[in-house]
Amino acid sequence: MAVTHPHARTAIVRTEAPLKRWFLRHPGAMRGLVIALLLLIWEFAARFLLDSDFISPPSVVLMSLGTLFATPGVPKALGLALYEIAIGFALAAVIGAGIGLAVGLSRFAHRSFMPIILLLYGLPQVTILPIFVLLFGIGAASKIAFGVSHGMFPIMISVAAGVQKINPVLRTSARSMGASRAQILYHVIFPHAVPSFFTGLRLGMTGVLLGVLLAELYVSTAGIGFFTSLFTQNLEPTRLIGLVAMLAVIAVVLNEIVRRAELHYGRWRA
Amino acid sequence: MTAAEAAIRICDVSHQFGEIGQARHVQALKDTSLDIARGELHCLIGPSGCGKSTLLSVIGGLTKPTTGSVTVSGKPVRGPMPHDIAYVFQESALFPWNTVLENIVLGMKFQGVPKAKRRDRARRALEAVGLEAFAQHFPGQLSGGMRQRAALARALSLETDILLMDEPFGALDEQTRMVLGEDLSVLLSRSHKTIVFVTHSLGEAVFLADRVAVFSARPGTIKQIIAVDEPHPRKPSFMTALKFHALRDQLYGLLHDEIRKSIAETAPLRRRYDDTAEKNEGVA
Repeated sequence: MAVTHPHARTAIVRTEAPLKRWFLRHPGAMRGLVIALLLLIWEFAARFLLDSDFISPPSVVLMSLGTLFATPGVPKALGLALYEIAIGFALAAVIGAGIGLAVGLSRFAHRSFMPIILLLYGLPQVTILPIFVLLFGIGAASKIAFGVSHGMFPIMISVAAGVQKINPVLRTSARSMGASRAQILYHVIFPHAVPSFFTGLRLGMTGVLLGVLLAELYVSTAGIGFFTSLFTQNLEPTRLIGLVAMLAVIAVVLNEIVRRAELHYGRWRA
Repeated sequence: MTAAEAAIRICDVSHQFGEIGQARHVQALKDTSLDIARGELHCLIGPSGCGKSTLLSVIGGLTKPTTGSVTVSGKPVRGPMPHDIAYVFQESALFPWNTVLENIVLGMKFQGVPKAKRRDRARRALEAVGLEAFAQHFPGQLSGGMRQRAALARALSLETDILLMDEPFGALDEQTRMVLGEDLSVLLSRSHKTIVFVTHSLGEAVFLADRVAVFSARPGTIKQIIAVDEPHPRKPSFMTALKFHALRDQLYGLLHDEIRKSIAETAPLRRRYDDTAEKNEGVA
């Protein structure tokens, strides 16, 4: 209830067109409009301007999703990708949160190890992908490991930063009421670190996705990577784009799950 | 005052931050002794940095003094004593992710109150501060004054004999702090708690305190103790009484020189600024 001055209100009403006001109240409508516009441009360009060997219009991709799933091995490859991403994400979350807490809680650990973490995070890890394959083989393990090594660093860094930002008076007051170290960790530090943990999770999610798919593309005998190169080499853009769209669906669904959990645990900030 | 009458005995407490010779070395408190009687509200007042908050945290066992000792109810203070002492901090020390009720219950859990008794005691503490309708609110949904009431309720629920308050109303506007001061005076007259109250406000000190300890500038030590002979609960009319103003003026007189001294510590900075100004003029 900031502005209640009658003249201020009428001034706002008069300067803004009803359509603009409607859009300002519905940001989702604007988002939908932009997506529809981009799809239309794509549709038009693919039909009339570009080579159909390299790109297909979105309507054709959508209509032929059935044939994509009918391709032998594709459903299994998508299932495998989902499995690798899910396991990689869970491992990255556990390792990232554990190391992030340890490094954030101790000044000594932070000063000793944070530079190493930042250096490793800054490395273009794709250059050492062959080492992952040598260590973990050409199966799912190397993809999961590469996903974990991409996803755990953002989680680590945001958890460590979140733990350090805690207001010292909260710890002091817990101590004054007789809280033990374990109680301070469980009742003060954990809940404080939850929002930064979720920020890290969402950043880490893209990392895991990137790591798993990079490893898939590098070496794969039956997974997403195999079909991606197969469709590209056979000049089948319809099925290629359909496959990529399915990966995007996996990413959106996982991100939405994390977002829902974040809203649930962040109620107090509303 | 004999040892039996004193709720808190402070003997020759000195405290310094950092080691002598270090750049960040600060002598905060010097040879401070004070007896605080059972059931009194004792204010500590002094210029910024005089060590009054440090003394409070030494009493509470949160800071170990460099030298000297504190005894509470005959027991030497070696660390936090949650069964004897409850604390109210300057800024809101409520856990923002817990509701007001959960905050109070959690405090009792830390202190070791059996689970069955926690809810009931929390309700009573909320009633005492007039916040029973806001039990399910998160701290972020309350005003600053209500947050400090909730913090006070949490401290009351611990049912300690001693309450330490570190500028609890310092971040609030003047009108809110006057009302909270009146409420605290009423609460005190019923509960017979011993309260040590750090403040910057002369009016607040006179209005609330049975005795006021005036601190000198850094290194802080107690310069004088002034008694305010007025029964609790105190009415707003006390603030317009001649006695109130006489005491307030006396406090200001004692503090004035000390505040000047504590401000004078920044004088070297000003001189350096003047030097550079002259040099610049020379160049021009």
